This record gives sequence, structure tokens and C-alpha cells, in this order.
Amino acid sequence: MNSPKFRFASLSVVKHAYLNVAMAAHPRFEPVVVADDADQPDWVHERNQEFADEYNIPYVRDVERAIADYDVQVAVVNSEAERHCDLSVRAAAAGMHVVQDKPMSNRVSECDRVVEAVERNNVKFLLWNRNCLPALIQAKQVLESGRIGNPYAVHADFYFAKDAGPRKDPNQPKKPPINWLERQKEAHADGSDGGVGVDPMGELKIEGIYPLAYIRMLTGADVRQVFARTTAHFHQACVDNDIEDLATVTLEMDQGILGTLCIGRIGAASHPDIGEIKIHVLGSKGGLVISEARPEISVYYRGQPATVYPHQRIADENNFHLPENFAQAIDTDGDTMLNARAGRAICATVQAAIDSGRSGTPVEVP
Amino acid sequence: MTTRLALIGGGENAASYKTVPPRLPNVAFVAVVDPQPDRAQTAADSLGASLKANSLDELLAGHSDEFDAIVIPESSHARSSLALQAAEAGKHVLTASPLAPSTEDAAKVVDACQSADVRLMASSSLRFMPSHQAVKKALTDGNLGEPGLLRMHRWSQPAGPTNAEDVVLRGAVNGIDLAIWLFDGLPTEVYAVGRSGYAQVHLGFPDGGMALIDEARTLPNGDGYLSLSLIGSSGAAYADDHHNRNLVFQGGDPGAIDTGQGSAALTAQLEEFVTAVEEGREPATSGPENQTALQVAEAAVTSLKSQQALRLNGGSYELA
Repeated sequence: MNSPKFRFASLSVVKHAYLNVAMAAHPRFEPVVVADDADQPDWVHERNQEFADEYNIPYVRDVERAIADYDVQVAVVNSEAERHCDLSVRAAAAGMHVVQDKPMSNRVSECDRVVEAVERNNVKFLLWNRNCLPALIQAKQVLESGRIGNPYAVHADFYFAKDAGPRKDPNQPKKPPINWLERQKEAHADGSDGGVGVDPMGELKIEGIYPLAYIRMLTGADVRQVFARTTAHFHQACVDNDIEDLATVTLEMDQGILGTLCIGRIGAASHPDIGEIKIHVLGSKGGLVISEARPEISVYYRGQPATVYPHQRIADENNFHLPENFAQAIDTDGDTMLNARAGRAICATVQAAIDSGRSGTPVEVP
Repeated sequence: MTTRLALIGGGENAASYKTVPPRLPNVAFVAVVDPQPDRAQTAADSLGASLKANSLDELLAGHSDEFDAIVIPESSHARSSLALQAAEAGKHVLTASPLAPSTEDAAKVVDACQSADVRLMASSSLRFMPSHQAVKKALTDGNLGEPGLLRMHRWSQPAGPTNAEDVVLRGAVNGIDLAIWLFDGLPTEVYAVGRSGYAQVHLGFPDGGMALIDEARTLPNGDGYLSLSLIGSSGAAYADDHHNRNLVFQGGDPGAIDTGQGSAALTAQLEEFVTAVEEGREPATSGPENQTALQVAEAAVTSLKSQQALRLNGGSYELA
């Protein structure tokens, strides 16, 4: 007997639509409608319409009406970060299971609302992540095998070798500050608009979820205290909006586990590919060094455009495993691999790191 | 001019230096100091040294005019007293880092060497590694822009005391020295955490610079691991054992073997030492620089114990 197919509504599709695409590609999920609030600005409606057209499904400018009219069981939320949680809460209140793009939110209080709504309505919540990349699966298997003993320190490097508008240049004559939202809308062209929204977000908020989710998966531990350094080292948009594009974080976790995170949007010239993304784990019986990019192949050719990475990741089934995990959680009334509480914990860690970077002191994770 | 060296300690020390003299015609190991005669003889033979002594006292008493400098390797636990003794006798000193167990003791050695007008160099295999020299060159050539983030992992087997404080003072201090060298200045913030056999040191530098150094002494027997990356405002450099491993297949999972950097670091630092002696100038990785790294390491130990960050205020570190 075939497993039932879940009909999903895309609640706002304003940035790179990878999770909507991944959900649509999975045999257990079917896109049936795009919905958003009518009072959203034109650019939001345009992008929503674009995705709806691509999948030949309607776009409804009324979230509650779309949920009521289209017999959907799942909401896929991919709005600006500041609207993520509100859309998720409304979907959960309507009894829908929720898949939400990262970051969970730029406010911990918003994450708390999601946790409450998901648990009260007994629906499933999955925060999109990269925990099912082949190298991460392998890292988890090595740890579970006990080959390096019990992990006591985990380090994640997460550098994106992408540019983000004009370079920081203190010698340039003073220009008007770069508008964050306008800059992010421009970045849609190359898919680097993960920080799209009115509220400026630094790299910790935009990408911190990924390495922190790795660390959480590998250790099973919550972060209790952080000490961080943060700076706008590369991009004028980050200087103008008082947010970081480079950060280091010391992590102190449950069970005495220690760790660090290095994160940055370090510029396209800094790496031949997407960036150095690595995991180092120290255990009681050894150590493990993992390159997130592997397995990969290399292709070089005359006239190769600078925008084409010569190294190509292969055998990446992350976009299959995440919807699969979500479907199983619904089927079995089990848990997803990154649920609302885990997402909230990561958001709180990020906020504590930002606070620590500003204060220069260790900060407890709330 | 040939600089005549006396090596303190035979055994592995002599073995590691064996390949160096043929590369440096202006260097000669003329003496080996070791309380075990057999080991002294073996070391002297391998280095071509004609003198052997049970102690530095004995060497100075009988052959003071026959050598110019002493080389104190990492295995020596009496570095500062040996350095003081050598300085008083007018001998130049190349010592393992840290040159003393505390900044207070290091200051005594630095002062003694300055008073005696002899050169004092704290060897730094990290600074002189070809990979790190290449990173530094990329930085000084301006290819990387302003340094923003230094990330370093150094993992090895347990050696000596392994409480976190010792891991900082005996191990991470060398990473700290490397960070000061690459950022060309003192850190303004220091935070550290650790546990048995392990420490991680978090440094903040002016203009937003930052460094994370983790030092582990918990690996099982076998090769260690060293990884360094430096992210600058216009480029980045990656010096990573992970990239420099080859594979050996013997059944089961293949083994990874380090391609290694030979004795290039040892040769380079010895060359720098004797050149500084010849030219009468301060060597790179000078005593005062090592004293500074030790000062930061002591701040890290204070952070470990207090679980607070420290800030540079004037010339000293205070709890933030």
C-alpha cells in the first residue's frame, strides 16, 4: 500500500526556494498552493507568483483562506526571517505540520511562540538544515561506532566564500548607508539572499543554524554559555547595518563538552569553491576531521566562468532525507531531526553569541 | 664565521638536529651535554661534536672558550636556569619555547641575556614551519588584506602534565605566539576554557581581529594533527594536515599519512639564530617576544580559572 501523500502550502517564497523545491520533489509531498498576506509589498507578491507559476499552482493573497480552501496538511514557510515564526504559528494553529526555512527567527521570543503553538496543536515542525549531507552522516556514524570514544570537543568552521555587495573600505569617501532589504533583494539573483528581510542579520543569524545544528547532532548537547568575537570585516553593508560578517564563538555545553564556531561570509576570492566548511571532533579515544564538501569531484576547463565552482559536490541527498524524516515523523507521531525546541535552542545560542560579541564577556544561553 | 653550538641533551634531540649541519655551513655542533655518557657519545658522534660533558657546569668549567652558544631543546625541564647560566658565561642561547615556566622567570632570563649582550631566541617550530612561513608571506605581501580570523588546531599525544593550565602554558603558548606574530600585535581580549588534556584559547585583537587556538594532548599514540587557517579581508590561507595526507591501504579503512615538512623548520630557526648572532641583532622569536606570549598564556590560565574574559589594560591583562 502506498503511503499517503501530503498536500502542502508554501507560505511565502521570497528567497532561494530550495526547501520548497526539495519538498515538491519528494514523492510524499505535493505543492498545491502558494499563500501570503495581502498587505505584503509588491516584490513579495511577485516572487510568490513566480513560484506559483513555476509549479502551476494558484497564488492566494490570504493565508487563512488558502489553508481553509486547499485541504493542506503541511505548511512550508520561506518568508523573510522576521515573518517565519508568525507564519509557522498560524499554520500550527490551523493544525498543519510545518517545515520552516532557517533562521528560525531573529528573536528568541518568536521561537518560543512556535514551540508553544507546535506543542499545543500536536503538529510536527522541521527546521531546515544540512545535517544529512554525506559527510555529516558519516561523522555521526563514526561517533556512534565509538571509534573515537566520547566526544569532548567539537569545532565547526563555516565560511561562505561569497561576496555581499561592496567591500568594506574605510578609505572610501562616506556614502549613504546601504539599505539592508534592497541589498538582499539584489542578492536574490545569485541565491545569496538568505538574510532577506527588513531587519539586518549578520552571519551568525543567517548561517549559524547550520554549524550549530551539526554540533547539536554530533553531541546531543545543549549550549549553556558562549564567548564570542564579532566584527564586520568584509562588507560595507554589514558595517552600515552594524552586524557581523565574521565571528568566533567559544561554546560550553552540557556534559562538559566544549566547542568553537568560526563563521564568516569571507568573500569570493577566499576559496575556490563555496568555502571551507569543516568539523573537528575530539573524543576520549581519538579525533575526527570532516570536510563537509566531500564527496566531490573536480572539473576544470578552458573558459570556465569564475562563477562556476570547479569542485562539485556529489551524492548529496540532504534534500531527500529531510522531507523523508518529516514524513516519517508525521507517520509515526515521532520527532523530526531538528524540531522547534532544538531550533529555539540554536536561535538562543546565536543571540547569546551576538550579545557576547557586543559586551566582550561570556553570556549564558537563555 | 662559524657559530659553535653545545646541545643540551642527547637522544631524540640529537637525532632531530642530525640533518641540519650539512645544510648550514656556518653552524657546527661542537659539544653535547648529557648526564648519560653513552647517550652523550652517540649524540656527539651523530653531530660530529668532539666535546662531551655531564652538565653545563662541567662544559663551562673545562671548555668555555670552545663554544659560542647553547641549544636547549624541548625535552629540557630546566630551560630558564640553563639559559641564565649560559648568559652569565657570555653564551648565546637558543631555547625551546616557552623559555621559562612564568613571565617572571622569563623576565629574569631576558634581563640576564641583555645585560650580558648575548642573543636569546625562543625556538618556535610553528613560526618557522614552511607552511606558516608561506601564510605569513601571503599576509605581508598584502595578498590577504587585513587579518581577521586565525583558526588553529594542534592535537598530539599526552606528554608531561596534562591539566588544562599546563596545556596552555606548555602548548597553546606557541599558538598564541603564532597569533601575535600573524596579527602583529597583542590581543586585547583573552578567554579560555579547558579540561584534562585540553584547552581552547579565544583571543581578540584590535580592529575586530580574532583567533581560536585549540590544543589537545589526548590523541592515542601515532601522528598528531595541525591545522591553521587565516582569513583576511581580501583573501584566505589554509595550512592544513587534512589536505596534506596521503593514503595507505592495508585492509579495513585506509590509513592517512602526513607528507611532512622535513627538517625545514628546525633548519630555518637555527639559521636565523646563528645569523642573529653573527649580525649582533635580536633574532626573530626573541626572548621578549616569547615573554609576551607567555604573558598572554598566563592571562588565558587566569581566564580558565575564573571563567571570565580578560582585557588588556595598559601593559597587563585584567578581568573584564
